Amino acid sequence: MNAFTDRAARAVADTTLKLAIDRTTGTARTKRDAAVRAWPQFQQARELGRQIKDHVIAHLDHYLLEFERNAIASGAKVHWARNAQEACDITIRICKDAGARSVTRAKSMLGEEIGLPQALAEAGITRVETDLAEHIIQLAGDPPSHIVWPALHKTREQVAALFRAHHTDPGAMATVEAMVSSARRELRAKFMAADVGISGANFLVADTGAICTVTNEGNAELTTTPPRVHIVTAGIEKLVPSTAHAMSLLRLLVRSATGAELTQYTTFHCGPKRAGDRDGPEEFHIVLVDNGRTRMLGEGLAEMLRCLRCGACLNHCVVYRQIGGHAYGGVYPGPMGSVLTPVLDGLAESKDLPKACTLNGMCQEVCPVNIPLPTLLRGWRDKAWREGLEPTTTRGALGIWRFMVLRPGLYRLATRIALPVMRLFARRGWIAAMPLAGGWTRHRDLPAPAAQSFMTQLRQRKSAR
Amino acid sequence: MSSARADILAAIAATRAAAHPAMPNAAEITAQAWRLLDMVPGLRPDRVGADVVESFRARVTLPAIGATAEHVQSWAEMPDAVRRYLATHQLPASIALQPHPQLQSLDWQGVVTHPTIAVDEPVAVGLALGGVAETGSLIFHSGHDAPTLFAFLPVHHIVALETSRIWPWLEDYTAALATMPHPRNVNLVTGASGTTDIEGALVRGAHGPGFLHVVLIGERSGALTSDL
Repeated sequence: MNAFTDRAARAVADTTLKLAIDRTTGTARTKRDAAVRAWPQFQQARELGRQIKDHVIAHLDHYLLEFERNAIASGAKVHWARNAQEACDITIRICKDAGARSVTRAKSMLGEEIGLPQALAEAGITRVETDLAEHIIQLAGDPPSHIVWPALHKTREQVAALFRAHHTDPGAMATVEAMVSSARRELRAKFMAADVGISGANFLVADTGAICTVTNEGNAELTTTPPRVHIVTAGIEKLVPSTAHAMSLLRLLVRSATGAELTQYTTFHCGPKRAGDRDGPEEFHIVLVDNGRTRMLGEGLAEMLRCLRCGACLNHCVVYRQIGGHAYGGVYPGPMGSVLTPVLDGLAESKDLPKACTLNGMCQEVCPVNIPLPTLLRGWRDKAWREGLEPTTTRGALGIWRFMVLRPGLYRLATRIALPVMRLFARRGWIAAMPLAGGWTRHRDLPAPAAQSFMTQLRQRKSAR
Repeated sequence: MSSARADILAAIAATRAAAHPAMPNAAEITAQAWRLLDMVPGLRPDRVGADVVESFRARVTLPAIGATAEHVQSWAEMPDAVRRYLATHQLPASIALQPHPQLQSLDWQGVVTHPTIAVDEPVAVGLALGGVAETGSLIFHSGHDAPTLFAFLPVHHIVALETSRIWPWLEDYTAALATMPHPRNVNLVTGASGTTDIEGALVRGAHGPGFLHVVLIGERSGALTSDL
């Protein structure tokens, strides 16, 4: 067995994990469904969202330059990074120049993608995760398992145990409310003491040079306002033409993610502290990160750059709901992750992910910008085949299959022989075990085939007429 | 890292040259982008009635948003509204008062006010630049009179909002924003702080305020005003 099937098998056997996944994704699906049903024009709005993103992707260099110009005019410093290493190097250098010992972070998947937590640790800088879920997984030493709910794999009972072990004043921990209060107390002073605050961006607004963050907790603003330096790390695909365009995408993003209409806090950050401002960072840095995105443009994955990171495709995926996020082994799990991970980690390392999919199409159906995820996943399968990444047994079996189907007489002869043999193993219409079919029957029964092949039946019907 | 910049831009230009040989000029790209938004009025969730103030009040007090709201006729009644709130919630008569002249000039007799905010301030009283009826959002622009942390540090946040400054839709606000200098922070605050990070269950008072109370000031109903 390979690493992915190992991880998936372990996840499927973990009943606590299943409970945790069911609780959060179940709530998320119910709330998204209600929000979408309350918006009769959702499909048209989704089409608009797709058009806005496609327009930006088609003119990405134009919008990057416009954004850079306006961000610099607002007093921000703009940095460019070709890859994860450059992005981390730039961020760490800014932290070191600021003499930073402690850094607060507002949840950012891009930060995870470029390995910022590890880079900060290597630089000896204390990292304080401020999003509640990120705080939970930082205490647990886990990677995120969902792009919206990184601690989705933890049940409330597990969170209570973690807080009891790590918080200075945990209290009773009887309810989720008590756990949230404990985290609030624990993180309060750390917000104010940090030297640098690091956030991601949900949108980069080209015509103002502002960056937009959306949170429900208020941790982003408490991360970006008190420290002397605010660093934003953002993927170059996050651009929108204007604040008005961001609003159209926000309507889609928030409903698709949590079922709310807007997050509690939607903030547009534009440059550093102004003359007369009583709070705000003195330095405002934006690191624009490529890390495979321009390659996606050229390699048939431009549609994936529409992604708003809402997580709806994860919540609705029958595979994600069985195995959770960690089994995927990449930063981004679920359908969107199975498209992105081969870009980030290489197809040879991740060729199993595009196959961990039933192609039922649910992900595309719920995607607020209509990304053809099943098509993109099939594209990776196709590429893995063409690049010879499939194991010899698969290639051999498919080679035999191809040989047979190109020779109809031989194929029919083979089915005529196979059908009665298979039926020998059938009991009440199902085959529970059969030589050579162990890979299938170990986990489920195989339906018994009809007594005669389709072609034989067709011939009989025709001659009976 | 200028070479990273050049490389990224060159990579984009190379793929675009294959897809769209003729790059439209900047003005045409901008015009295209705005034409897309022509369809927005026809596809927004239809929920803002003729009475924008009532639409806002109804939305901001929905359980999903979780704020409370009351209405007073004039600015002079604002301190009374705050005193009533403090009494009802058995809070100390000491508030962080946003250093805005409109608020500072009111008669706060019986309440100790301070213009700064502490890390765990029990109560802060602030002034919103405006509101959006569609979403029940309060809008704050950071500035000398409006420090950002007033909306994030207190446990109870009491916000004054003039009813004449409620926009029907998010795009009505962005149109107004486009005519103003962009502040360092635009904060859209939609309800009290919350989190769904533990099992997806909504809990109030994560890092930001646990309680949000809106005091609507002015005419009880109204259609909109777009000019600021």
